[in-house]
Amino acid sequence: MSVVIETKGLSKIYESSFRGQDVYALKELDLTVNSGEIFAYLGPNGSGKTTTIKMLLGLIFPTAGSIEILGLKDIASAKVRQNIGYLPEGAYYPDFLRGEEILRFYGQLYGLSGKKLETRISEVLEEVGMTHARRRMLRGYSKGMRQRIGLAQALISDPQILILDEPTTGLDPIARKEMRDILARLRDRGKTLMISSHELLEVELISDRAGILYQGEVQKIGTIDELLTDRDLTIEVESASEEVLGTLAEKGITPEDKIEGKLILRVPNDMNSYDALNICKEQQLNLVAVAPRRETLEELFVRTVGEAQNRSTT
Amino acid sequence: MSAAVDYFRGPWHIAVFTWREGIRKKTLVGFLILSLLVIFASFFMSSFLNQTTGGGQVETEIDGKLIKDICVATISIFGMLITIFISASVVPNEVENKVVYTVLSKPVRRMQYLLGKFLGVQMIVLANLALMTALFLIAIYVRQDEFPKLLLWSALLTYFEFLVVSAFTFAISCSATSAVLPTIGGLFIYLIGNLTEYLKDVSLRSDEADFVNALIGNVASALHKTLPNLQKFSIKTEILDLNPGAPLPAHVYEQIPNLIIYGLAYAVSGYVIAYWVFRRKEL
Repeated sequence: MSVVIETKGLSKIYESSFRGQDVYALKELDLTVNSGEIFAYLGPNGSGKTTTIKMLLGLIFPTAGSIEILGLKDIASAKVRQNIGYLPEGAYYPDFLRGEEILRFYGQLYGLSGKKLETRISEVLEEVGMTHARRRMLRGYSKGMRQRIGLAQALISDPQILILDEPTTGLDPIARKEMRDILARLRDRGKTLMISSHELLEVELISDRAGILYQGEVQKIGTIDELLTDRDLTIEVESASEEVLGTLAEKGITPEDKIEGKLILRVPNDMNSYDALNICKEQQLNLVAVAPRRETLEELFVRTVGEAQNRSTT
Repeated sequence: MSAAVDYFRGPWHIAVFTWREGIRKKTLVGFLILSLLVIFASFFMSSFLNQTTGGGQVETEIDGKLIKDICVATISIFGMLITIFISASVVPNEVENKVVYTVLSKPVRRMQYLLGKFLGVQMIVLANLALMTALFLIAIYVRQDEFPKLLLWSALLTYFEFLVVSAFTFAISCSATSAVLPTIGGLFIYLIGNLTEYLKDVSLRSDEADFVNALIGNVASALHKTLPNLQKFSIKTEILDLNPGAPLPAHVYEQIPNLIIYGLAYAVSGYVIAYWVFRRKEL
């Protein structure tokens, strides 16, 4: 698997003219994105995700460090630009244009024309499921349709790499699922996707690797399986008194949630499952269900960011 | 040749896109409708005067003068407002709504992008001017029964005056985050451009013996030489005062190429400044 995006020591510092204190938007970022994978680029607001993406696209310039895309340092070169598709967050497309007209404009910027361009427009519209609305004005599009036409403009040159900033934000569950399916299909066709998102549940379902950024520094990076190693057990019981819960807590079993009157208990991953069940039995709890459980990307994200916050405040 | 065509293909598509978007801007359409209404009104006003005075050759000339004065003022004011408004807003608006991200992430260099935007602005300015001038010509033709060819020269010079203001407003807009500052800047350029002639007076009147006075004189002289002088285009009003059927006087005819070159030189300077500002702009 070849590396298609690589940054080494990439930094971005904004000079503050008033306080005399520099603001580090990105600190010596070493990042690789491999060919044919979906890489989730995660982080809270202001962590440096968009800064990284803008630097990859040449929209802003690094203070230090280097970027290589497809093995080329000249990221503004035609070869690199031909092979990158970008979907910005909340981009606007003129209302008076039809879906196919927007794509024609962006296709022309890649030097496409004539029959080749029209064929490509039909292909991408098919790919994002927008063929039915190709002649409709954008003012008649729903938010999901606009997002799909945005994705179509990113795909118009059939690029090898797609950089998507919040592709599912603001979409309803059905539109989100459709977008997720499209992205997964693109990955299956060999495209490389770098997705910046706050929709962690969505991202977890389709990503191969993820990196968590906080205050301009990568806190964790790896495959989803490598990152989500914390596995434990949940036990669902009818109910438990405060006293029983106190006893359970002393042994490490903690209440996690309450759903329809049933209590979900979380067993730490270093405790034997049988021991946990015996403790519940000793406390005369009525067991409803026992299920293995893996930490979600959302939990990992919250934990990682929380740890980073604690480190930065101490 | 092919490389040159390829290079300009991107800017051309951006220009067409800018034009299509620009002509739908409500503020611009509003200005245009207002100006056309005033031009139209001048025609009716002259018809009314014609009826009250009973007509005749002298009245027709007075009517023509009235239409010319109102139309020229309208084209100058509204044309300049449209020019400033559109030149000030195209780039900041695209940065704000992120269209610039999708365009510059394609194989489009910043110089090509700006060239496309600037060409698009000029297409809008020209179209507006053409529309206003056409109505003006029709009004004069109907009133005086003679096609006023000379007015086309005046319209041409008006465009180059707009071009100078447009280029510098565009340059300011490339450093701005919204259209407000460049709009103010554009109005300021228009004002300064019409006052440049006074700087020459200041430099001539300065007293070389007094240090401060001499310094002010030198600064005024430098500004007079560098700032665009829009008063140079005032020759267009001289053309308007001529009989529409008369030939263009030689001294006016000789000045037109120079004024076109003058306008183009300042437009190129404005574009170079715009690119210099935008080249490393963090978007």
